Amino acid sequence: MRKLIRPVRAKLLAAKKNTGGAGEAPVEKPKDNTDPDKASSFLDADLASNLARIKGIFQNCSDIVYREFLFAQREDIRLVLIYTDGLADKHQVSEQIMRALSLEAPMAAPDADITKASAYHLIKERGLCVHQVKETDRLEDVIEAVLSGDTVLLVEGHPFAIINGMRGGEARPVSESENEMVVRGPRESFVETLRTNTALLRRKIKNSDLKLEMMQLGRLTKTDVAVVYVKGIANDKLVEEVKSRLQGIELDSVLESGYVEELIEDNTWSPFPQINHTEKPDRLAARLLEGRVGIMVDGTPIVLTVPTVFVEFLHAAEDYYERFQIATAVRIVRFLSMFLSLVMPSFYIAIITFHQEMLPTALLLSLAAQREAVPFPAFVETLLMELTFEILREAGIRLPRQVGQAVSIVGALIVGEAAVQAGLVAPATVIVVAFTGISSFVYFYSASFAIRLLRFPMIVLSATLGLYGLISVLIIIVVHLCALRSFGTPYLSPIAPMSLGDMKDLVVRAPWWAMFTRPRLIGWKNLKRQEPGQEPVPPETRTGKKGGEGNTGRG
Amino acid sequence: MREILEEGKISSRQAVFLMITMIFATVILSVPAITVKHARQDAWISIGLAIVAGLFIARLVTSLGLRFPDRTIFEYPAEILGRWPGKLVGFLYIMWFLDINAGVIREYGEFLVTAFRMATPLIVFNLVAVAIAAYTVRNGLEVFTRANEIFFPLIMGLIIITSILVSRETDIQRLLPVADVDAMSIFKGAMVPLAWFGQIVAIALVIPYLSKPRESHQAAVTAVLVSGVIFMLVVSNAIAIFGPDLIDAMVFPGLNKYRMVNVANFLGRLEALAMTAWVTAGFVKISIFYWAAALGISQVLELKDYRPLVLPVGGVLMAMSILDHPSAIHLQHFVAQVFPFFALTFEAAIPLLLLLAALARGKGEKLG
Repeated sequence: MRKLIRPVRAKLLAAKKNTGGAGEAPVEKPKDNTDPDKASSFLDADLASNLARIKGIFQNCSDIVYREFLFAQREDIRLVLIYTDGLADKHQVSEQIMRALSLEAPMAAPDADITKASAYHLIKERGLCVHQVKETDRLEDVIEAVLSGDTVLLVEGHPFAIINGMRGGEARPVSESENEMVVRGPRESFVETLRTNTALLRRKIKNSDLKLEMMQLGRLTKTDVAVVYVKGIANDKLVEEVKSRLQGIELDSVLESGYVEELIEDNTWSPFPQINHTEKPDRLAARLLEGRVGIMVDGTPIVLTVPTVFVEFLHAAEDYYERFQIATAVRIVRFLSMFLSLVMPSFYIAIITFHQEMLPTALLLSLAAQREAVPFPAFVETLLMELTFEILREAGIRLPRQVGQAVSIVGALIVGEAAVQAGLVAPATVIVVAFTGISSFVYFYSASFAIRLLRFPMIVLSATLGLYGLISVLIIIVVHLCALRSFGTPYLSPIAPMSLGDMKDLVVRAPWWAMFTRPRLIGWKNLKRQEPGQEPVPPETRTGKKGGEGNTGRG
Repeated sequence: MREILEEGKISSRQAVFLMITMIFATVILSVPAITVKHARQDAWISIGLAIVAGLFIARLVTSLGLRFPDRTIFEYPAEILGRWPGKLVGFLYIMWFLDINAGVIREYGEFLVTAFRMATPLIVFNLVAVAIAAYTVRNGLEVFTRANEIFFPLIMGLIIITSILVSRETDIQRLLPVADVDAMSIFKGAMVPLAWFGQIVAIALVIPYLSKPRESHQAAVTAVLVSGVIFMLVVSNAIAIFGPDLIDAMVFPGLNKYRMVNVANFLGRLEALAMTAWVTAGFVKISIFYWAAALGISQVLELKDYRPLVLPVGGVLMAMSILDHPSAIHLQHFVAQVFPFFALTFEAAIPLLLLLAALARGKGEKLG
């Protein structure tokens, strides 16, 4: 697949580099340059004609506001404010632009000679009380600014527009993460507004090496996308690769980071997610500091991180905050549940159908007794139960909260209890399926999709070929995972290719003082995380005395 | 990079793991019975001899390979002997790899059918094995080397753990008396394991893809030594459990051993676990030889890529695996009587002649 996709992207990129400017707004600009009536894309000195053109473009857009007023109460200097209702901060617009320009400007500069010619300069340099101001002479920039929530000011007699950064409007406040739960650790999670998200990240990494490069994706939606990385830790080639893959995207719309993900991943046919995501600023910061690159998309709290290795899905943010022994123990549980959620039903079928001799006699008898009345073979029974479970789970996600209880009653009581009572399924099958389902919730949700999906072919093969079928599917999965790469990093690293140095953050989470290097395959550019040898030493031993030798206490 | 047919690079450690899995995969299955038949309780001496000879083969093959560190055994005969004779040697090697792999696949299928008395026909097992291997080979050396890196500790772990679990059944007395059989029998017993250790010749294909080709000496020697010693322990263990007479009557003593496991009346009949290890290792072995054959054809015919050959070669392998031997007994007989001479021709004789020819004609780098 890569062979098919790459050349096209390369060509697109080459085309872009030839025509486009220095990288800003790469999608739209080249097309405008080829526009026959080039002159019309620039602003006029005449305010009325500018306004007419803008109004023409925004025809039937009822949310665009045009506010005409006078600069310093002078009838000859007319100003127009254009902004999108709901996107601009109304309070700031009226206070800091209109009030400042029409009422306060003459008072602030009584000696200044307010003429039509100097008005523009006065407004820009002295009148406006806006923290962020940009200037443009192009019509598209004006349109884009208005649509992005900025407020545009046009001045009579000047072919320039002042873009005031006063984005506001309704946004969800930063709240607790709902998908990545932690007991210990920061609660905040990203929101839909990109600027808020970058601020949350900047709060975590207060260093000028944290770079946030912006670009716009989506021909119609013009979604802001930020490529974030820590310069000096992230591999430059990786950053370039991420940017070039992003620039190769020619979509109509980018409404969620999932759109981006599907266009930049390495193997689109694999069920395994090759790009990780998070909604927690602390996790993003941790990954950036390992040398990864983040992709923030406006309009979604889900931030993508690349490159991704498989074991990331089995790690949780909390592993790094909890004491390391506990983190390690929990990780072992997580690895185990991943494995169980994949093979448990297939193993059950294989044992019941082909390899009964593996079971202790007592257990075998009890299973046989349970299954005596069941009309289906173990395969059909398990498949039905698995399907039921998937349906219940999907229902659990989609249903309105008020009916949740009803579904759980139906799910637990009717499907579980009644089906067993009616002799449709064996209790052992219910246990296996329920346990499988629960295990698949233990690790990261997006990876569990792949496992859930792969469970079904595995069930089928185990029912036909027994354990051999199960092993065959496992082998294929492992080979497939070995073949996968995420932005140049082998998906199964550090297990294969084995990197002993990185084993300290695989199943075992080494204490922080021992993790003085970054993951080798990702952060090789700047391997050293901190000075080694920071193991805490209690005071008794620090002074050279042996502990317990008449040393009765700290005081 | 693209001129090289196989672009992956593998480390020496990965190569060692790969070679150990390759040798170990099938040697554990039917070879113990053959060796024990000849050498009886002194089978471990036979295996020791085979290890020593295997080390010489490893040394020989890598010495030859390192004279041409960026070529495989399909390519450098042409450099040593001239274009057409060299191609002939390459062609013979392709045939050898195909044939040996067909045997492995057949054994794989026969093992599953015999050991588990499944009603499924042999061809299904062969087909599944070849299909998985085809997928793997298409992905290339680097990928199945990495996959093996995951399988290897599991396979070794399973073998070691199960061996410990059956230790209750062992009786060291069954290994006595030492050196009870005559030297000829011990040599005879050594031939078949040697044919297996000689499969280290496959490293001649891997050398160009090693990140440090110079380490292939060590890699090959380590692989033979480790797999040999583990094999020796496994066979001694089996003898200590069953005694030579019983093993002689078994087809797969390596498997029967695990039927003896019984821990606390709960953990028993572990042969399914042993099968897991064996199926995985066998799959790696099939993939290596499959890859060797496909790569060999593309190199001898000077094609750009071996990947289009994967499916045709798979078809040939399937057919050969079914047609080569009319029955499992025939296969067993072939392995015991014919295979050592057939295999050692390609594992030792031809490489030796090639090395001598290269020395005589001054071909290749001197460093080897």
